[in-house]
Amino acid sequence: MFCFSTSINKRNLIYGVFDDDSNLIHAVEEVREKGIEVFDCYTPFPVHHLDTAMGINRTRLSIAAFLCGTTGFCLGLLLQFYMMVFDWPMNIGGKPSDYHMLPSMVPVVFECTILCTAYGLAFLFFFRNKMGHGVKPDILDLRQTNDHLLIAFDSDTLDQAAKSELTTILNKNGVLSIHEYSGQYANEGGAHA
Amino acid sequence: MGHHHIEIKQEKFEFTSRSKMLSIILLAVGILLSVIGVMQIKANDSKVAAETTSVNAVGASHETAAASEHAGEHTKPWTTRFWANMLVNSYYFLLFAVGALFFVALNYVANAGWAVMVKRVAEGISAYIPIGLILLFITLYFGGTQLYHWLHYEHEGLKEGMEGYDKILAGKSPFLNSKFLFLGVPLFVLIWYCFRIILRRLSIKEDSEGGLTFFRKSTRFSAAFLVIFGFSFSMLVWLMIMSVDAHWYSTIYTINNFAVMFVTSVTVISFFTIYLKSKGYMELVSSEIMHDLGKFMFAFCIFWAYTWLAQFLLIWYANINEEVVYFQIRLHGYFRPLFFTNLFMNFFIPFLILMMREAKRNPKSLLVAGSIILVGHWLDVFLMIMPGVVGTSSGLGLLELGMPIAFAGLFIYVVKYSLSKANLYAINHPYIMESATYDVGP
Repeated sequence: MFCFSTSINKRNLIYGVFDDDSNLIHAVEEVREKGIEVFDCYTPFPVHHLDTAMGINRTRLSIAAFLCGTTGFCLGLLLQFYMMVFDWPMNIGGKPSDYHMLPSMVPVVFECTILCTAYGLAFLFFFRNKMGHGVKPDILDLRQTNDHLLIAFDSDTLDQAAKSELTTILNKNGVLSIHEYSGQYANEGGAHA
Repeated sequence: MGHHHIEIKQEKFEFTSRSKMLSIILLAVGILLSVIGVMQIKANDSKVAAETTSVNAVGASHETAAASEHAGEHTKPWTTRFWANMLVNSYYFLLFAVGALFFVALNYVANAGWAVMVKRVAEGISAYIPIGLILLFITLYFGGTQLYHWLHYEHEGLKEGMEGYDKILAGKSPFLNSKFLFLGVPLFVLIWYCFRIILRRLSIKEDSEGGLTFFRKSTRFSAAFLVIFGFSFSMLVWLMIMSVDAHWYSTIYTINNFAVMFVTSVTVISFFTIYLKSKGYMELVSSEIMHDLGKFMFAFCIFWAYTWLAQFLLIWYANINEEVVYFQIRLHGYFRPLFFTNLFMNFFIPFLILMMREAKRNPKSLLVAGSIILVGHWLDVFLMIMPGVVGTSSGLGLLELGMPIAFAGLFIYVVKYSLSKANLYAINHPYIMESATYDVGP
């Protein structure tokens, strides 16, 4: 069966549940100030500035978009040059069938650029976010799909002192509850409410 | 992140005597260069004329005489070139001011908050409208018959059946006539100026009194302005710019000119903002706002190229005699290199520079791309007017260099003077905080 392994598969995590996005951001900032790295945050809606608070690098989507666009541009030119100049030159209104017809190629090249960029980015988005058929989503807690926000830590990388500090910080920032998650059964269930 | 408390302090731009001096020097240098340029053209003209007469006197071969006669037919006096340059520059610099007013109105109607921090800069730029109108009217009034052959034709008063009767010009005469030109153009610009006065007054009053009434009123006036502007700007462009080739017309011409207006005015707004920031003012204008101004520049470079190509492609492809003459003169002969330079300066180079995120956030690269756009669109307007008015006796000389410098000096003086008259931040605008804490995201 076609299946990617999800990022929470075979991991032991500690996660806190929030019901307010600004509390979550404050918690993320404070935890990172103490030198504890956040494994990931799970939110039902995009939270502004969460990525900068978590220290995630800027997306490289724009570079991918540029590359896709350039590919489309070249393919569009190649397509028309091959068809209209080399393979089957057609006489349209007495126009020349060589590089002089370049202006008339612009609309098609433009469309090809957009087509390649749009499709390229859509597929890249599905691929990068592991949104394929048969892929089990990263669901630690079903409430993350509704109205609660989760902050997760990899408990294997934390010692006891760090864990207790973590609990204090989360409690201080209004966490609703703190849970432990063991990902060994992730392949069978995933969801663990 | 974290919600920092931002305090917006009243700031006022001080128009120092030094910067006054600098813009006056710019004006003087520009005028000097123009005068030298005119003298050069005059000297050159008299030389050519002397040669032509001597050739005719000697009685050269029939072919040479015919050729020189043909050339003489197209040679225009230096005044034509001078007025054509006046039209290019007075129109181009008026576009900045009108575009800035359009930018203010657009942000009101779109309910946009991000640009409130640079609203006063745009308002300051729009202060040039009356000066621009005066210069434009002088150009039209004194240079009209040399600029527009339909105006010249009107003065001849030919009737049907007479020699030289032009059916197309006669057909267009209900619109292309001196009444429309001398009354319509000032009327349209005056209407825009009235809106500028109203919006400016509301804006200044808002500073001292506060409250939402000024915002609501401004939005209503802005909406009215946008509707009126859409129609009157089209008419203005048809009357003044498109009519230099009176036998020719293009339905997308105005939209192309609108794109020129918007991209150049946004560039000028960001230039003045960068200038003010470099002088220590407007520190609250973050790179986020510059980023969005850069996005506008980028977007309207593409839009300009889109409309430009839409105009070119149909005419080029259809290849109909009466349409293709417009591009014939621009694509072949003297204007050919300029024609392609125009395309590179206004689309390819700024497109590739401004595509990068960091280029829009960095004032230096914004200045580079913006300068290319400003010079490029000057060339664009030059290419709209010159081939039709001056034709083959046109050129890029000291006159063409000096006149934009003189206009820039005047323009900078007027804008800086207006900037120094009000606070740099519209502190009681309801969206000022949104603009001050603005963030375009990753």
